[in-house]
Amino acid sequence: MPAGPSQTCAVPTPVPIAAVEFDADLLARYDVVGPRYTSYPTAPSFRDDFGEAEYRVAARESNEDPIPRPLSLYVHVPFCESPCFYCGCTRLITREHGNAARYLDHLEREIALQGALFDADRPVVQLHLGGGTPNFLDIDELARLTELLADAFNLELEDDRDYSVELDPRYLVPGFIEGLAELGFNRVSLGVQDLDPDVQQAINRIQPASQTGDAVAAARDAGMRSVNLDLIYGLPKQHPESFARTLESVIALQPERIALYAYAHMPERFKAQRQISADDLPTPAVKLALLGTAIRELTRAGYRYIGMDHFALANDSLARAQDAGTLQRNFQGYSTHGQCDLVGLGMSAISRVDSCYAQNLRDLPGYYQKLTQRELPIARGLKLDAEDELRAELIQSIMCRGRVQFRDFEDRFGIRFDGHFGREMAALAMLAADGLVQLHEYGFSVTPRGRLLLRVVAMAFDASFQRPEALARSFSRVI
Amino acid sequence: MAIREFPLPRVDRSGVDLGLLQTSCANCGLHQLCLPASIGGDDLPRLDKVVEVKKSLDREQALYAAGEAFRALYVVRSGAFKTSAVDSQGEIQVLGFHLPGEIMGLDAIASGRHQCGAEALMKSSACEVPYDKLEEVAQELPGLQKQLMRVISREVQHDQRHLVMIGRKVALERLAIFLHSLSQRLERISRDPHLFVLPMSRRDLANYLGLVVETVSRLFSRLSEQGVIAVERKTIRILDPAKLRELAGELSL
Repeated sequence: MPAGPSQTCAVPTPVPIAAVEFDADLLARYDVVGPRYTSYPTAPSFRDDFGEAEYRVAARESNEDPIPRPLSLYVHVPFCESPCFYCGCTRLITREHGNAARYLDHLEREIALQGALFDADRPVVQLHLGGGTPNFLDIDELARLTELLADAFNLELEDDRDYSVELDPRYLVPGFIEGLAELGFNRVSLGVQDLDPDVQQAINRIQPASQTGDAVAAARDAGMRSVNLDLIYGLPKQHPESFARTLESVIALQPERIALYAYAHMPERFKAQRQISADDLPTPAVKLALLGTAIRELTRAGYRYIGMDHFALANDSLARAQDAGTLQRNFQGYSTHGQCDLVGLGMSAISRVDSCYAQNLRDLPGYYQKLTQRELPIARGLKLDAEDELRAELIQSIMCRGRVQFRDFEDRFGIRFDGHFGREMAALAMLAADGLVQLHEYGFSVTPRGRLLLRVVAMAFDASFQRPEALARSFSRVI
Repeated sequence: MAIREFPLPRVDRSGVDLGLLQTSCANCGLHQLCLPASIGGDDLPRLDKVVEVKKSLDREQALYAAGEAFRALYVVRSGAFKTSAVDSQGEIQVLGFHLPGEIMGLDAIASGRHQCGAEALMKSSACEVPYDKLEEVAQELPGLQKQLMRVISREVQHDQRHLVMIGRKVALERLAIFLHSLSQRLERISRDPHLFVLPMSRRDLANYLGLVVETVSRLFSRLSEQGVIAVERKTIRILDPAKLRELAGELSL
């Protein structure tokens, strides 16, 4: 789907990305509900009539390209030892370690089934273990997992591979990160959220700053090429002063990347969030101040706003990919390897192969049962039509490059931009009047003030928002 | 909307295809390449009576199989076909790819049986031309006889070109010859010669070129690194036609 490196038809023109500007009034005005666009169309529009047969066709088609895309693997480990109250991920709380081995037994089957679908010369340039808590598995189990993957897929050994693991620093045993490096992982992402003890208590995640610091040090010692730290703003008991202290400590650790997510309080959808008292949540004004603080502190410390929750040091590969115009967005956020077919493994994982999305069953018994029958555990998915692909690429361009050049899309999709997107351009004109975007002869670009509202700009091109009833769907707030 | 169907020209995108299938040889966009070329307007309806069925096929559907009794020639109307044969070891050899206006089945005239099978690479259509009726009409229309010979000669030429290509030791030249030739064939049917979607899988292409699939992909990468072509998925854009011609060498014709 996305344009990428030199072998593609539409080589994106590198353009320096605008800085980000924090405009509280504008943000407050546009604090609407919207998707995060890790995919387009978004997951709620996946269909139940898409299953294993459709996925197999997509996999086969993907092998038939003259230059098949490299692969990106995602493995979901759904278990967590204790519930963090803010969490909206698909995960299972358990202390029963036996679950890990049983899960691996089923993953083994899924990996074999999936591996057989892709030609052996397609390298896996990106591998990500997410959760849940991937370090719910011990290092021997992770060794088994990587061995299974290496048997079924062509794992890349070159230095430019991105093999990463999400880790919960609270459950790291000594030598674990070193072990990961020996298995070939070269990036880690650590959950932090907030270092303030009151906030940590309110979210049921007690994690002393020293634990985070030790984990970062261990990653450095093990030779990990990159460390990402996750933060969340809008959490209960959070206020700008204490959050500034958290930011200061985090910056001192000099992670290459920082993800700053907005907490979306949707207790009716996420059960764990019912443990959070609404009274403890920051008001919209305070939430905005938290974001403002974070942007000020991170920018001052030399972090660049990449877009949608993500910051990176200027010499990090994400920032460099953005400069080169090759940045991509996928289910793991931003990526420098977007030209891949993405194979999602494990309960609830989502694949993006050829022009299809496919999502696995989101309950463990169902997932296990399918694999026991040696069937792919696909629950639903979507085959993109040409219109979906056009809009998906437009949204990619907005999310990753902050601008759209009409000609790129007119040439590639055989459309006239203003004719095809009459209504969208009218919406865009309103956003331009509000200063979120700037219209040019050749296209449009997101302004520094608009960069925190990328979702709003993208929504203008989301066909599902052309239908009023879609607005009622429960997406998280933009800010 | 996107450059997806192959190789319908841009103007043909509005679902005219079904209508096309109903039209006569006289109205067919391909008629200058096909059998009607050099037949006078008055005689054309006689050919129309020969072309009795216009077949529509889905991807991977066989038009005819190897060993089947020869009954008719086929002309590609839309889409694309591949012809292939299976050897005694069960190995498949891809023999050719056929675009609109190109005739399939000529190799069966001698033995009365199809020597290879033909299969649609995508949703395609073909005109069926029963051979006995064609012979009959050809006896009365010298123009048609001449054109038939010309078409056969074109096919022989095409096969020779394939032999030359297979003989090239430098793998990159084989791919260059293939792409250059494909581009020329598209130009002949008034399609964009520099922007097209490959209808065949890289596996079929590798088989046809006598290379392994990894090599084919590496060669496509190399040509795009050299700025000769740009590749996105199955869409190929020829950026430097002169360079491609040079790589293909003189013999590619």
